[in-house]
Amino acid sequence: MEARRSIFSRLVAGAIGLSIVLVIALWFVTHQTVLTTLEDGAAKEVDVDIAGLVDIYATSGLDELSERIDDRIALTPSEGNTPHYLLANDDGDPIAGDIAQWPQLDPMVSETGFVPIGAKSEGFARAVQLGPDLRLLVARRTDNNREILSNIALAFAVGGSLFVLLVALLGRLAALGLQRRIGQINLAFRDPAKANDLAQGSSGDEIDELTGHSARAITRQRGLSEAYKETSEQLAHEMRTPLSHLDNRLLKALEESPKPNVAQRLVEARSEIKRLVQTLESLLDIASSKSRRGDRAGLAPVDMSAMVNSLCELYAGSAEETGHTFTWEVEPRVMIEGEERQLSRLITNLLDNALKYVPEGGTVSVTLDEGPELVIADNGPGVAPADRTRIFDRFYRGRSNSDATGSDVHGSGLGLALAKAIAERHGLTLALDDTKIGASFRLKK
Amino acid sequence: MAILHTGEASQGLERPDGGMARNALRILYVEDDPRTAAAVSELASSSGDTLVWEQNGSAALLRAGMEAFDIIILDRMLGDIDGLTITRRLRESGIGTPILMLSALGRSADRAEGLDAGADDYMAKPYEPDELMARLRALHRRNAGQEHQAVIIYGAFECHLKARTAFRDNKHLSLSPKEFELFRYFMENAGETVTRDMLLRDVWNIDFDPQTNVVDVNIGRLRRKLEEGFKSPALETIWGSGYRILEGV
Repeated sequence: MEARRSIFSRLVAGAIGLSIVLVIALWFVTHQTVLTTLEDGAAKEVDVDIAGLVDIYATSGLDELSERIDDRIALTPSEGNTPHYLLANDDGDPIAGDIAQWPQLDPMVSETGFVPIGAKSEGFARAVQLGPDLRLLVARRTDNNREILSNIALAFAVGGSLFVLLVALLGRLAALGLQRRIGQINLAFRDPAKANDLAQGSSGDEIDELTGHSARAITRQRGLSEAYKETSEQLAHEMRTPLSHLDNRLLKALEESPKPNVAQRLVEARSEIKRLVQTLESLLDIASSKSRRGDRAGLAPVDMSAMVNSLCELYAGSAEETGHTFTWEVEPRVMIEGEERQLSRLITNLLDNALKYVPEGGTVSVTLDEGPELVIADNGPGVAPADRTRIFDRFYRGRSNSDATGSDVHGSGLGLALAKAIAERHGLTLALDDTKIGASFRLKK
Repeated sequence: MAILHTGEASQGLERPDGGMARNALRILYVEDDPRTAAAVSELASSSGDTLVWEQNGSAALLRAGMEAFDIIILDRMLGDIDGLTITRRLRESGIGTPILMLSALGRSADRAEGLDAGADDYMAKPYEPDELMARLRALHRRNAGQEHQAVIIYGAFECHLKARTAFRDNKHLSLSPKEFELFRYFMENAGETVTRDMLLRDVWNIDFDPQTNVVDVNIGRLRRKLEEGFKSPALETIWGSGYRILEGV
């Protein structure tokens, strides 16, 4: 089974794709949640700090506030984010604190935002207006947040990869199991002799049920096919052997140099035997082709162009002698998967049919195009509308509207039925085109 | 007059009627129907061949293993082992004697099965006695390696296989590729009757009889080319059976 066409490979690929999407989505949600939580934490710390400093300013004044700010800067907290401050006048000139420059935050609306701290760091900050010419900026460094988030990303990358790998592995294992079980069923259908190996498992699941149904269906089909072969072989044997004896007796009689009129009848009787055998064979061939409809076994690439050319060359002389204009136009290298002898029989039957029904002076044309599409058309008497649906029936004779050839046109009545059966065995359709003049048989996919 | 291959004298003896006395064949015939067996046996002895008849498959396998034969004729549907199995077993045990299957199963598919199993030729009952003998000789010739000759000479006719040219009385005959194939087939089977079925099968690869008289017409055309400008006929029509190439002298 080709991997790219296997449903199981597609399922495994789908599961891997879905796992990747799932891992990315989970990481994104986690990232956003952690980020929000960290920022909320920093905001709370800043707000508590501001509340304390505002109190100090209200109760003890600017100097005390500056001092406390310096104290807080000097104290590095054991946990949480490092605090940073800027106490400045309305022009932004620093009074106290360790932030060098007033950022783009409006203290009048207690604006918050991320501000640069030093050359490399940044932090979450809030600006407040303490007095007419005094503003305070309290910040908390958030460098830790970035580290936490990149750790989370790393954890997701490693864990996610392992998860996807596990999904792929388990998916592949499950797929292989299923593939093996379905593969056995397919193998049994391709080669019915292997149907006996089709063991029904013990799990009792849907595939087990399908296996059981398949084994029974294949065995039944094989039985029917064997019975058909046996019956047709016996039929052929039981008819051909006595006919062979009869033919031998006629030949013996012929060897005894009978009178010319007797000899003539003996030869005719031998021809009748031959015709009977041909009818029997055609009937068995039709049955065989019908029973193998859609069955690809035994088909091989056939150069249809070469075949059509060769058959047309074979028929050209006969067509000329019977006064027909016979033309053929063949696209080179048209290939088909088929049984060469059967296909050549199909084409021969159509050619026989055309030359038989088209009167002297008529035209018969053969065209083969890619597809393959073969058209054998003539300008003979054509087929009466009422007969169009019956023309491919077994033992149906009487293609012509009127017997325009004036001759006694007889055949087995099986030629077109066999042609159609062979066409269908090859997955082709053989139909009569709706033409005003003559008949046009079209063989195509 | 004899058929000469590559210009060397043939091993065959000349007969008073001018035809070639062939080497007698030793044939093993496996057939469960005594009447068919009797008819084929009679046919073989009338052409001077020796025929050993076995009625079942196991006896035939035993006999084929112990004695040497030129040809084996095998029925397909026997009482014990079928013909296809016999063919496979013979081939597996290294016996390469040419096998002709003579069977009541005559459809394309049956023929293909027979040939796939290892048979060299396949004929269906009812058969033309002339055709059966011609095919047996053709098989024997093929097995004896006589078909790989460069030139076949028969009477006034010459067929140069590699150059794909034909001559009558040293005069070049202008033949189309298919006509040459036909001529060559007649030359390879010179002295034998060639039936329509043989021509259809071996020259056109068709194993059924078309309703149109395609063989007769193509033979007619070849005949005209072989006879144009010469007095004696080149092909003889064997009534109700087939054709035979004449020496043309």
